[in-house]
Amino acid sequence: MFSFTKEQEVLDISGIKIGGQPGLYPTVLFGGLFFKGEPDFDDGKKQIQNMFYLSKKTGNPAIPDFFVRTEEYVEDIVNFIEKNVPSSRPFSIDIIDPSLKIKILEHLGKKNLLSRTIYNSIHVGIKDEERKALQKYTPEMAIIVAFNPKDKSPDGKIEVLQNGANLTDVGLLEIAKNVGIKKILVDTAAMAPGDNSGASIAAIPVIKEEFGLPVGCAIHNVVEKSKWLDGFEVARKSVDASSNVNIPLFGGDFAIYGPMINSDLVFPVIAWQDILVSEYTENYFGISPVDSHPRRKFF
Amino acid sequence: MQRVKTTVIGSYPVNVENMELMNGYFNQTESSWNKYIKSAVDDMVNAGIDFVSDGQTRDPFVNIFTRKLNGCRIRDRTEVIDKVEYAGSITVEDQKYVRGILPKNRQLVGLIAGPFTLTRSSVDLFYNDEKELAFDFAKALKQEAQILQKHVDLISIDEPFFSMEMPEYGKELIQTVVKGISCSTRLHVCGDVSKIVPSLLDMPVDILSHEFKASPKLFDAFKQHKITKNICLGSVRSDNSRVEPVDEIVEHIKKGIDVFVDRIVQLAPDCGQRMLPKDVAFQKLKNLVKAGEKLYG
Repeated sequence: MFSFTKEQEVLDISGIKIGGQPGLYPTVLFGGLFFKGEPDFDDGKKQIQNMFYLSKKTGNPAIPDFFVRTEEYVEDIVNFIEKNVPSSRPFSIDIIDPSLKIKILEHLGKKNLLSRTIYNSIHVGIKDEERKALQKYTPEMAIIVAFNPKDKSPDGKIEVLQNGANLTDVGLLEIAKNVGIKKILVDTAAMAPGDNSGASIAAIPVIKEEFGLPVGCAIHNVVEKSKWLDGFEVARKSVDASSNVNIPLFGGDFAIYGPMINSDLVFPVIAWQDILVSEYTENYFGISPVDSHPRRKFF
Repeated sequence: MQRVKTTVIGSYPVNVENMELMNGYFNQTESSWNKYIKSAVDDMVNAGIDFVSDGQTRDPFVNIFTRKLNGCRIRDRTEVIDKVEYAGSITVEDQKYVRGILPKNRQLVGLIAGPFTLTRSSVDLFYNDEKELAFDFAKALKQEAQILQKHVDLISIDEPFFSMEMPEYGKELIQTVVKGISCSTRLHVCGDVSKIVPSLLDMPVDILSHEFKASPKLFDAFKQHKITKNICLGSVRSDNSRVEPVDEIVEHIKKGIDVFVDRIVQLAPDCGQRMLPKDVAFQKLKNLVKAGEKLYG
């Protein structure tokens, strides 16, 4: 456990504090919904309620991460967000297809939801159309995926944030700032098992020390893709959930932990890790956890 | 007249599909870079170029090397943070791939960024001694050249920073890289080299390559000296998009013949073509080949 010499930004995301020195704020947890593309809204509503319940119980802030796979469901999902995510809370939209990203921005803009939107994500695949859409409908926050196809090491991730690794005209941080994003989170881009997957964890303290921004990742993706774990079916969910402890252990600020259905496993695991980190960082660095921290609920 | 070969200096423009690379990330599958190398090689082959390169498509040429050398990391510029050492092949796998797709009647140029250029392009946070850093780069590049020579027909060392300053140890640096290399070697120095012609003619390489098209005054500079090296004649510009007509290139080559007589062994663009639009780069190569055919048959 450690603290950073670089001053750390603490962002206020619709009331949720994220960032700072290890041990100060609890790890923010992003749980995914509608990953398969066809949304089950009734089930989604229950899962969100459960995630918020666990968040209240543990102290770890919860942010629902909505996958949108086809244009068909864009409007329905935005309506669902409007009705089921309390107006005081942020949410993220998780979309790969650039044309869908543009469409949903427009819908979110029309519904006045952009101030609560975390745009997931900006990466080297961004094109002019997406930049223009982001300038017109600017979400308050964005996650930048620090994937550098030329170099998957922590240095490569810094390179793509700083200068785009000659794949984009400027660095990804500058792209986000240029389109008007005010609050930036960095995702260290977890790779497939065997493909430098550990670099996404090692990059957390490196990027925090370099830029002082809130950093996290979806390390569970590495577990999800593991064929080796096929031989340990009973353990798979536990391994998946516990993989997230690496994030607070390495000084990270948020975990994108995969399907929201895994919340019951993930929240206590991360809360426990936050408690351990906090105990040490308070004793050694004098960093007292905030009132909402899981450690405050433990005692 | 013996037919003079056409060649390239190194880099070639490609249109990288960033979203395709991202889809590889999202699907957790490895995206191959070979299609971009092939795109560059296909253009060179289709234009009729004799000595083809891999196009240096992955990165600017300095980064291609510093990305894979121990002791370097890439930020806005390359930073040297530890002792520079060879950490394994840098360009060899790409060269093997190119050899595999290259028609048998074409030859392959292996490209190496020069040690002085790597030194001057980097921010030194470790050595505090430019010469020591340059020689460590040279020793690392030597190891690359030793492997590379088994896979290519010519090794070309790119040292643009010599045109700004030729260090007193410049020859020794190049010697460090090429000593014991059995294939032909070429030194490419773009920019205004008129003040360092004697040093260049003394370099331990077989061919000197310069940008004669952008700097025709170089003809006058070389005229003052006995030409003891073979010449790769820069004949189309790499720094602007105007495609030189064939006859203009022919006239330029004739000026070169007046100075170098039969020492001209290669015709090339002035420099790497990476910054040109792809269609322009291709058309320049085609016209270069046509000009060569017109003169040499």
